[in-house]
Amino acid sequence: MSAKMVYLQPIPVRIWHWLNALGIITLCVSGAQIRFPEYVSVLGSYRTAITLHNTAGIVVALSFSIWFFYYKIVANNLTEIYIPKGSDLTTGLFRQAIFYFFAYFFGAPNPHHATPENKFNPLQKSAYLAIMFVLMPMVSLTGILLMNVGPMREIVLMIGGLKILVVMHFLVACSLTAFIFTHVYLATLGEKPMSYITPMWTGWEKVEDHHGAVPTHNDSVEHSFSPKVPGCVSLKQTERISV
Amino acid sequence: MKRRDISFLTMQSIIAILLFVFCSTGTDRAQAADYSFGDGTGKNDACLECHKNQTKVSGLNYIDPKKFGHTTHAKFGCTTCHDTITSTHPGTKSAANTTSCGDCHSEIITQYSTSVHAKNTACSGCHNPHRVNTASEIAATDMNKQCAACHQNIKIVASHAKWLPQTELHLGAIACVSCHSKAENYVITIYIAKRDGADSESKPELIAYEDLQKKVGGDDIQYLIDANRDNYISLDELRNFNRDPDNKSIYLKAIMTPVKPTHSFQTFDNRWDCTFCHASGPKIMQTSFVSFPNQNGTFRKVAVEKGATMDALRAIPNFYLMGSTRNGTLNGIGLLIIVGGMVMPVGHGFLRFLSRKNRNKGEQS
Repeated sequence: MSAKMVYLQPIPVRIWHWLNALGIITLCVSGAQIRFPEYVSVLGSYRTAITLHNTAGIVVALSFSIWFFYYKIVANNLTEIYIPKGSDLTTGLFRQAIFYFFAYFFGAPNPHHATPENKFNPLQKSAYLAIMFVLMPMVSLTGILLMNVGPMREIVLMIGGLKILVVMHFLVACSLTAFIFTHVYLATLGEKPMSYITPMWTGWEKVEDHHGAVPTHNDSVEHSFSPKVPGCVSLKQTERISV
Repeated sequence: MKRRDISFLTMQSIIAILLFVFCSTGTDRAQAADYSFGDGTGKNDACLECHKNQTKVSGLNYIDPKKFGHTTHAKFGCTTCHDTITSTHPGTKSAANTTSCGDCHSEIITQYSTSVHAKNTACSGCHNPHRVNTASEIAATDMNKQCAACHQNIKIVASHAKWLPQTELHLGAIACVSCHSKAENYVITIYIAKRDGADSESKPELIAYEDLQKKVGGDDIQYLIDANRDNYISLDELRNFNRDPDNKSIYLKAIMTPVKPTHSFQTFDNRWDCTFCHASGPKIMQTSFVSFPNQNGTFRKVAVEKGATMDALRAIPNFYLMGSTRNGTLNGIGLLIIVGGMVMPVGHGFLRFLSRKNRNKGEQS
């Protein structure tokens, strides 16, 4: 077993990830100030908080659209990557949960090895399915409606009113905030605490070669954005960080 | 234009004015012959005999008897204000009064004289004393229409849009005097509005009395919401009204109105700060009323159970004042969700710390 440097996170993925991170944190803080102005005033005036919230909201919504467009249209592997398979639901979820909540504490290896065709473990798939297909669209759409209550009044009324919209937006935002804590924590569960975090910044990850678990240059899975560095293998966009 | 032409035009005008004065004086004399006033119980009736008749009088001289009859002014009688009127009216004087609004409304005049409006218009610029109503009898939308008579809606939207986010939404949900007068306490007044996508948000169209009458089949329209007819609207009654599929064409439009409007019209510095309203705290938003239209064009308010604006979903589903009408239960649920997200890092992290030696052994083996 030998260690190799793998180009794991291409530049577009890293830009997308950190733009989202900045946007979502801005949304959380400004959202807290908008809802609790008596207690939160870190961003200065209320108007600044609203402007920042609206701007960050548009950026994250656009970023989400680009993500969807890329996976659905360009890469055309949205279903394979994000929808759990039958085996994921029957045994995969259970096996991965046992690892995280039991086997991990005894130093057992992670049962899931990321490959371009199977990037996420079953728990990741389920979590991302809920986040990217339910929560993110919901928070973005309710946000867009809340930014345009006047022009979109009829749609707001059809949904059941402004208040229902606010409740949806708030509860989904709380769920996404809750996810951030879990997401950041799970990102530290690599070999070393920074093992999964550094690649999201530099792009390169040190990967143990588990007898072909990591595809080599000859496996034709090279990402179009990956640099041509002799002796290094590359992976198609592989996100091992998170759940 | 040559000087000669101007003189010719001036001459024409003078002749026309003289002819008009001659003719109208003749008519007035004819009317004055059979005219008397202040005789008997209905002391306004004599005046209204002519002034309610649009064929005899026009413009501001026309007085709608229903609207005038409703005013407090009517109770004092015409001659209280029109005190110099003589039996030769209308032959002698047209503006027959030496009184002014300030004789009775001195406090308002003092307030008003300090405002920028005082330089531009007198009381009658906004109020017609023959059809004036008390503040609670006017819909907030009508209050704003009063302002819109001089301040064009399009210009108002444009000037506010320079600094006020969601401009149209704000202008449709706040009475102008909420910000532009020194009023200090506010209530939420709920109106029944038409659900019509064609109306802009800053000009919500309230549903007319006649349409609501049809809806309730001739019954009192208050019972459309006040189902148990106790002259008090509970949160349940509001929720039932909103849930009723028969009410799909209408909706409850809430507008923030001052408890007691003042005439000190100007923009106060603290109104530029969003937190004046948005961090006003839940206390100020507890009081609300439903304002129902009356047949005579006025409105009447019926008290609503406290906390309607704070109710999570159904009481006034289309009113939400960010920062101030947040619901406590929802805050609790939101907090629970966020704390739930921390369970994994804290719980797992703790076990991870305790099992660090185990894991080292496992990895080595």
